[in-house]
Amino acid sequence: MKIKFKSNTFLIAVSAVILGLVAGAILMASIGSNPFEGFYYLFRGGLMNVERIGNTIATAITLMLVGLSVAFAFKTGLFNIGAAGQMLVGGLCATLVAHYVFLPRPLYLIVIIAAALLGGGLWGVIPGLLKAKFNVHEVVATIMMNWIAYWSIYYFVPAYLKGPSLETESKSIAISQSLRSPWLTEIFGGGYINLGIFVAILAIILIKFILDKTTLGFELKAVGSNRFCAEYAGVKVNRNVIISMMIAGGLAGLAGMTYYTGYSRNIQIGVMPSMGFDGIAVALLGASSPIGVFFSALFFGMLQSGKGFMNAMTEVPPEIADTIIATIIYFTATSVLFKKFWDSVGKRIRTKRKDRADKAVAQEGKDNG
Amino acid sequence: MKKFAVVLCVLLMLGSMAFAQGQTATAGKQLLKVGMVTDAGTIDDKSFNQGTWEGILKAQKEGLVEAKYLKPSGSTEADYLKEIGNLYDAGYRFIICPGFKFETTIFEAQDKYPAAKFVILDGEPHSADYSVFRIEKNVVGVYYAEQESGFLAGVAAALQVKTGEFGFIGGMEIPAVQKFNWGWQQGIKYANEKHGTKITIKAENVIYQGSFDNVAAGQQIAASMYDKGVNVIFAAAGGVGVGAINEAKARATAGKNVWIVGVDVDQYNDGVIPGGKSIILTSAMKYLDRASYDMIKHELAGTFPGGTVLRLNAQNDGIGIPVTNPNLSADVSAKVAEVFNMLKTGAVKVADTQVAGLFK
Repeated sequence: MKIKFKSNTFLIAVSAVILGLVAGAILMASIGSNPFEGFYYLFRGGLMNVERIGNTIATAITLMLVGLSVAFAFKTGLFNIGAAGQMLVGGLCATLVAHYVFLPRPLYLIVIIAAALLGGGLWGVIPGLLKAKFNVHEVVATIMMNWIAYWSIYYFVPAYLKGPSLETESKSIAISQSLRSPWLTEIFGGGYINLGIFVAILAIILIKFILDKTTLGFELKAVGSNRFCAEYAGVKVNRNVIISMMIAGGLAGLAGMTYYTGYSRNIQIGVMPSMGFDGIAVALLGASSPIGVFFSALFFGMLQSGKGFMNAMTEVPPEIADTIIATIIYFTATSVLFKKFWDSVGKRIRTKRKDRADKAVAQEGKDNG
Repeated sequence: MKKFAVVLCVLLMLGSMAFAQGQTATAGKQLLKVGMVTDAGTIDDKSFNQGTWEGILKAQKEGLVEAKYLKPSGSTEADYLKEIGNLYDAGYRFIICPGFKFETTIFEAQDKYPAAKFVILDGEPHSADYSVFRIEKNVVGVYYAEQESGFLAGVAAALQVKTGEFGFIGGMEIPAVQKFNWGWQQGIKYANEKHGTKITIKAENVIYQGSFDNVAAGQQIAASMYDKGVNVIFAAAGGVGVGAINEAKARATAGKNVWIVGVDVDQYNDGVIPGGKSIILTSAMKYLDRASYDMIKHELAGTFPGGTVLRLNAQNDGIGIPVTNPNLSADVSAKVAEVFNMLKTGAVKVADTQVAGLFK
């Protein structure tokens, strides 16, 4: 039964992607470009050589952690739209560590991860508390927290982390203090891949473990599937809401760390990280399961890092590439439709089979009789 | 279900066939492939990106080159470097990057892609912490004398309006924008002293908004300045300036006497209001299109001045105000042309720093 359910979600995800790509193809064809050529270069751009694969993974790392954050909150029935703000705060904490804490590498990594978890967790726990204590809807609260983070950083960075001349971004982090690692850079021939990939994989395993194997995970899921039922069964709903938002925030904070101290090596002010919202699509496409998030993040990472090469090689303008990605996101967001479609297909097949079986039984009965 | 599977298979087969063929599509005569990576903002930003791109387009129209621009997904060094990599992998070996934000990007790219040539407008390559300035043989850096451009616009606006209150809206507080501001204030002073105009400018009306893309904020700042009695605003602010232009258009349409001085390119057409007039008094231009076009020409002629930093100013016709200014009288235009010539000969000098008496 369980396996069957899983293959169903997989089918939904794949059909969303295919339909998204088809819609993108129609769009490309309508502006007079060859869609096959477009997609060829899109995929080539993401996977052509090891450096590009490295860049695809680097983009996917952040998406993975944000996707995981959103997916985790989904499991508890919460919509964490504040991943962008949690990324900013987690990233800021990590950046501060990168600039001011000098320790042996393994210890340093633990400290920077803890800082990012703490920052993001703090930004997640506030909406969680508001939800638990005052029933403030988490969507509103997290959006507000996004802007609080955005403007705090707008003033904090120029005041305390200012670069030599640029007012608009923090001074850049030394490579040795960033998450980039010489041996990874060497394997992938440059690129932006960093140690964040291990953080992301560990987080995925850990979250999967928490959700599937622990009491906490069971309680969280219980709250997510029916709050009142869970309460009736003796689960402390409010406590679980707070914990869930805290963990979700922490995960997004880690995403901020991988982005600001691994990928870009500085924080820009006045920029809300778009990955904070792309993560929602990643979670949706991944059906909110940690493993699903892993693969859907890789897919989106490939699209993101491949689109530039598609633009360079074809006449598809850059704006169209973004539209294509948006179309795919749109189709993932409407995955409920696919679920209904595949359910009805499944039902029809089952009824047909049943009919056939019934007929066969009847036939057999007749034959015997 | 079966039908669907069949259709899917056919689609996939077609797809794989097309993918296989896609590789051998390019052929024909080999033109120089010129690429451009846009700075923050769009290609039609009526400013930096557009000006640079128009020069490249001109070369393309003349059949000299094959051109392409890429828009990075963000404005970090990583985003820029990725797009340069995309252009390089697609065979573009001459890459023009508008904006000082490319300085650190090109610093890395010049070593990573020694076979490519780079032009950076408004800057020169240096390391992120400004400790190392190094320009390789495959890079040209271009600086503009924004102060001279702002100076000319200040003189022109002052001469045309004669008495009034002026203001300045800047984008980010970076050298290029600051120099526009300082030049603008010096130009107003010059006109007051030499031509008897009565223009004032207050410190509170010199504002840096802090970004180049916040249209709404530009509109608000312009509105508050006009409310305080400012007649002419010099908006050196990209998208923020677009907001200021919108505000001026709304007020001018309602019959108010307000003006904007445009920046980087001739923005006259952006300020046209119903009735055909424009609220753009004049524009403080940097001839970005000339720079990108000239660099392409140099490359084709084999005289690419790699390894040097060029400084474009009045002397080499790198800056100025538009050739035609419908909102300036012939007399004013003639006087501005005189001042331009004095800049050329060095008779008039404009400071590119915040000398005493200048705001911000």
